[in-house]
Amino acid sequence: MLRGVKRDTGSGSLAALGPVDEAELIARCKADERAAHDELYYRFRRQVAGNLYRVLGDRSDLDDLVQEVFVIAFRGLERFRGDARLSTWLYRICVNVALGKIRTRKRRPAAIGVADLDATSADPSLTERPETPDRTLERRQEQERVYKALERLAPKKRIVLYLHEIEGLDLKEIAYLVDSNPVTVRTRLFYARREFYRVLAGDAAPPAEEPSGPTAAEAEIGAEIEVEAEP
Amino acid sequence: MSEHVAPHRWADLWAGRVEEAERATMERHAERCRACAKVRQRVTRASDSFATIRTQSAPEVPWDAIRARVHWSVSTERQAALRRRPPAYGWLAAATAAGVAIGLGASAVAPLAVEPSAAPPDRALAAQLRREPTASPAPLIGLVSRASGDVMLDGVRPADLFARGLGEGSSLATGDGRVDVQFGSDSAFALGPMSTLRLRRFDARTIELAVEGTLDVAVAPRASGQRFLVDAGDRVVEVRGTQFRVVHDPAGTRVACHHGVVTVRDRSGEVELTAEQRLAVAAGRPVSAARPVALSADEAAAFDRARPLTLPLWDPAALPRSSAPLEIATAGRQDVRVDGIELGLAPLRVRVMPGRHSVETADSAGRFRRAGWVDVTAAPHGARFEVPAEPPRTGGITERRRQLRAGIDQPRLRGCTRSIAKAGLTGTYVQIEIAVDPRGAVGFLNVLDTDLPAATASCVRDALATVRFAPGAAATWRERIDL
Repeated sequence: MLRGVKRDTGSGSLAALGPVDEAELIARCKADERAAHDELYYRFRRQVAGNLYRVLGDRSDLDDLVQEVFVIAFRGLERFRGDARLSTWLYRICVNVALGKIRTRKRRPAAIGVADLDATSADPSLTERPETPDRTLERRQEQERVYKALERLAPKKRIVLYLHEIEGLDLKEIAYLVDSNPVTVRTRLFYARREFYRVLAGDAAPPAEEPSGPTAAEAEIGAEIEVEAEP
Repeated sequence: MSEHVAPHRWADLWAGRVEEAERATMERHAERCRACAKVRQRVTRASDSFATIRTQSAPEVPWDAIRARVHWSVSTERQAALRRRPPAYGWLAAATAAGVAIGLGASAVAPLAVEPSAAPPDRALAAQLRREPTASPAPLIGLVSRASGDVMLDGVRPADLFARGLGEGSSLATGDGRVDVQFGSDSAFALGPMSTLRLRRFDARTIELAVEGTLDVAVAPRASGQRFLVDAGDRVVEVRGTQFRVVHDPAGTRVACHHGVVTVRDRSGEVELTAEQRLAVAAGRPVSAARPVALSADEAAAFDRARPLTLPLWDPAALPRSSAPLEIATAGRQDVRVDGIELGLAPLRVRVMPGRHSVETADSAGRFRRAGWVDVTAAPHGARFEVPAEPPRTGGITERRRQLRAGIDQPRLRGCTRSIAKAGLTGTYVQIEIAVDPRGAVGFLNVLDTDLPAATASCVRDALATVRFAPGAAATWRERIDL
């Protein structure tokens, strides 16, 4: 079973939306009830925005992207069969919208700017423990480094790497979200990890080697090599 | 195992995905190899930051405005679909099918007939099918989406500007304001102040606009065979781009391209502009002598501000009825936002969908504050919203800011940064937020952001806390101090 969107920092809690409530909400949305649309939007808005923000690493066009996700969701609710949780289905739309955004943006802004981090400081979890300016700066620089390394990857690789390494999803979950199969995801992840960590290592990286077979640990995460044309 | 450890293996180690024996080997190697130790450190630090990224919440965005836009998109689309849907009665469907069949048959023998515009759906469909073999390009319709100042359409100032459609032959003129016209999904132009525009050709195949003054255009990518031309005097700007600006005045022609490709040509030749380039051709000079130069950051930012307003779902037939003008009146010139979308300087009129909209205005510091809500009914009524005049300014922040700057103990501040300056770390800054009450007492002084080490930042804060303020207006503001 897919875990769905895991965090909810908004006012509407996913935990409070059980399967029955969810089915009822979907049914009301399908019946074109305005209040149900509002409820769905206000319950999931922060999750959707959070997913997009974390995947992309910057807030430019965030409101447009949130709009796009909900427009797609409301348009597609008729076809939503309930195979996955509503939150998971929305996450899938987020991933696809983010993928489109990554593909289309030509000039990539700095991954996380000062303004972005200031904006996130409203999150209580981040403000509970006051940070020193040193620590804040260090944290910011580290995140920037991660997103800059992500920027270097091809869009499809970037998405699977993000979902696996940062979000901690497994291959099946990722496959559902990117509308692919686990084997393809596994292959893509294998190359993405090598490339990502090599970029992160920067000039300290040891000389590149020919891709060798997976180690036991790589096989464990499913990073088995299969010959696939690299994008 | 090879001599060096691949960087991703350190991530595996960090995540506990490495066997104990291999872990020991890797760690022994890192002790001997400085390069691998460095890689390990970098990968580990990055992996540590994953948790922070994972728990990061989204910044606040204009939720209500987004909801409104989603609602516009979805509901307008649904209404359009309902309008297009044939009646559910079987007999009527059969009649429609018969009509289509008759129409198809007639097309083989009958000359093209002009159908009345209010033809029933079956006849209209038949007429459409008859037209297709000899189809001339469909005429386009433009609708005003935003207007400010004086706007003349075909030589008059129409009271129902937002209800009128612009077509081939229409002309627009502006006074000290501007007018935005949408003519397709994601396609619109904005005529700047003191400008005139004539729609020489305006159909699905060719759009040709003649401009005197400033014209900002944002268009969806052109399909094969479609042309978009802007005539600027004896120069022609042909567009394959999606966002560009043309300014034509007695001094010459200036073209700037934000996205895509734009070709500027005259009898002497042509010059191609790619994204983020501009070209200036002085009056009387040939285009071929001009060279494109890169846009500055300010010019690129100006493009975003000048982007014509478009409604999310384009339906020129339905929009005049399903949307309405909202007039925003302000005492002076003030930047306004409606539903979170910046519209520029008011007073202005903007096309919105019926419903409740939030109106915000910018204060002198550029911060938007909600001026109120307005309920807009469907056309033709629209609505008018008068922004209450701002209370007279006390100049509190300006004065307090001046007092802070004048009162800083510069020698003490330099003392704080001396050691890091000796280490070659210059060009640092500290951003503070400070509150001062009417008695001149400092309510709080927080360091919001800095690139200084913690000890230095604390020293700087203490130095700033010694500033004394005279009694005056209460003020809370943010200040960036470059050191």
